[in-house]
Amino acid sequence: MGTSQNNYLHLARPLAPAAVSTTAPSTAPLSVSLLPQALFSILDHASRRPADQERVIGTLLGTRSEDGTEVHITNCYAVPHTETAEQVEVDMDYQKAMLSLHLRSTPKEVLVGWYATSGELNTFSALIQNFYGQQGEGTFPHPAVHLTVSTAPGRDVDARTYISAPIGVTAERAADSCLFIPVPHEIRYGDAEKSGLEMIAIAKEREDRSLLLQTDVETLERAIEQVLEMLERVSNYVSNVLDEEAEPSSALGQFLMNTLSLAPKVDAESVERDFNNHIQDVLLVSYLANTIRTQIDLSNRLATAALTMGHAEGAPPTDAQQQDNKQQSDRGGRGGRGGRGGGRSRGGGDRDYQRENPLGL
Amino acid sequence: MAEPNTASAPLKEVQIEALVVMRIIKHSTSAFPTPATGCLLGMDVADNIGTQLQVTNCFPFPAAAPDQPPAQQEQQYYQQPTDAATLAAGAPRAKSNVAYQSEMIKYLREVNVDAQSVGWYISTSMGNFVNQNFIENQFFYQKVTDEKTVALVFDVGRSSAGSFSLKAYRLSPSFMASYREGKFNTEAIQKSNLRYQDILVELPLQIHNSHLLTSFLHQLPQPPPTKNALDFPSSIADLTHDPNISSNPLAPNLDHLDLSIDPFMEKTCDLLLDSIEAHQTEQNNAQYYQRSLAREQTKIQAWQAKRKQENQLRGQQKQPLLDENEWTKLFKLPQEPSRLESMLVGRQVEQYARQVDGFSAVVSGKMFGVRGTMLPGDIA
Repeated sequence: MGTSQNNYLHLARPLAPAAVSTTAPSTAPLSVSLLPQALFSILDHASRRPADQERVIGTLLGTRSEDGTEVHITNCYAVPHTETAEQVEVDMDYQKAMLSLHLRSTPKEVLVGWYATSGELNTFSALIQNFYGQQGEGTFPHPAVHLTVSTAPGRDVDARTYISAPIGVTAERAADSCLFIPVPHEIRYGDAEKSGLEMIAIAKEREDRSLLLQTDVETLERAIEQVLEMLERVSNYVSNVLDEEAEPSSALGQFLMNTLSLAPKVDAESVERDFNNHIQDVLLVSYLANTIRTQIDLSNRLATAALTMGHAEGAPPTDAQQQDNKQQSDRGGRGGRGGRGGGRSRGGGDRDYQRENPLGL
Repeated sequence: MAEPNTASAPLKEVQIEALVVMRIIKHSTSAFPTPATGCLLGMDVADNIGTQLQVTNCFPFPAAAPDQPPAQQEQQYYQQPTDAATLAAGAPRAKSNVAYQSEMIKYLREVNVDAQSVGWYISTSMGNFVNQNFIENQFFYQKVTDEKTVALVFDVGRSSAGSFSLKAYRLSPSFMASYREGKFNTEAIQKSNLRYQDILVELPLQIHNSHLLTSFLHQLPQPPPTKNALDFPSSIADLTHDPNISSNPLAPNLDHLDLSIDPFMEKTCDLLLDSIEAHQTEQNNAQYYQRSLAREQTKIQAWQAKRKQENQLRGQQKQPLLDENEWTKLFKLPQEPSRLESMLVGRQVEQYARQVDGFSAVVSGKMFGVRGTMLPGDIA
């Protein structure tokens, strides 16, 4: 599942200079996939940037496929940097320290590139890109991925990914400049993320941009309402077409017919039977769970209440004991009562507890 | 306001950023089936009614080093899934992670992330989180005075099945007091009148988006349409292959309308059986204690009777009396096992029961709806 925009022209992927990898690096196009949480984190960082900075940068972490053609960006963190007209400074120690901290918690993620929160590419970008792509600390021999997310207020949030090739007239100029090649990217997400994203998407519709988390029943209600709304729209359209008020479209009609024919044809009896079984299963488990809950509650209460009954010097435990003792021989019963009289405080209570335990379980 | 805010304004709700939601989801799904733990950062905002805790960022904890003191393991009566899981679940309070946490916070403060730790999160599957580790972790955070911390529990299994499940918990004050004393035997519980329902307090949870994020969401997956009405597709292939229509990450999630109940039911029943076994073990321990206590008592009484007799004889023979209370040194009464485990089992079962109730409500609604569709005109 993913979304992609635009079409891309395939240019041969630039190989790292002095390729030292054992497998021949392929020039297949690099494709980048992005997790929503990395993107959200970048947006959050952009909104927290210090007031005097136009753009902020950070590091991208992720995983790479075996031959390096697919890069999956899963995490990112911000790196403080300062930028003036003439020079740029990136806090290297911070970047190294954060990288090692992140590697401790998620050892599978490696450095794959860096991001910036404005869409422009200038010399400083080239410098930083070379730094990230270099040997040793950087992503060598794989190219570093540069992700720009333009966060100018009032305009669209535009995310682009690039990889770079060295370009320059001389070797020193090559160190300062880069040819940024755009590569396609898409946003991927899994099932659990889908439900989280849905919650977030609902929040976007409301005024204060927040949403109280709802119970299952309310979510179900909302899902059914959406389906009803969709059905209503479609049926309106179909009746309009039948009244010749709207234009028919054969593709849409065909699609609708295909979809509606998916409804199963079953006879009433088997539906009733299946329905009853289904409901019975669910209700049975619900009943069992509640019974177990009550049982455990009861046994906990009995456990802690036993001592009070033992302490009370009155009739109830004596009566219970006497009723039990009627089943035993008289001498045993008298002996039991005598013993209890002697060690009244704890021993008697405990024996009461033991006798009542079969009930409590 | 001239007067300072009362330090003990109770937490009334928790608000989390969308970013935190996504990060927790990603970490939990990648660490599944071991529980994934991490730290929450944010700040607390006090207003007239109470305090609202805002969680603005989070980061995962590394799994603790394997050399955890074995004292942590001895209290686990019921089975733990694997050792890795136990270590991961105990991560928030491991010493190495406290250092990790303070380092992370230090670095994050430099990029203007809120530097106050407001709790921790853990992922679970099918509601199986009320155990010793959870309580200890939360206690570790809550034992500092005047703190505002919360535990977020994210349920991976149920969220993948369509209903997003994230809850915020705190330990109740009565439970905190009892846990501080550390004694959970029968007298202590009778005095404090603590029931298993009182252990955890659930707080309402809100999701909040920033402006930038909202504008981004409005823009996904495609820019808003420039024309009023879209053109008709020219063929079915057009419909199915148009990426803007066929795959939309923010489309309503209709997984929720799925009718299958078996996976959920099976897992819940398995977990209920586990809880019953745990409870049974606890009961057996308690009974064993009672029996051994009774045995010791009878032995002590017999010994005391003998001593009395001896003393009588000695009194007659004008010899020094022996000490009657020496039995305290000779006989050692067995220790009463802690009742905490059985209370936790009770709370866990209640959690399952609540989940099943919610689930059965939803399934009954769906079933009646489907039946109405299949047998039109048949009012149930």
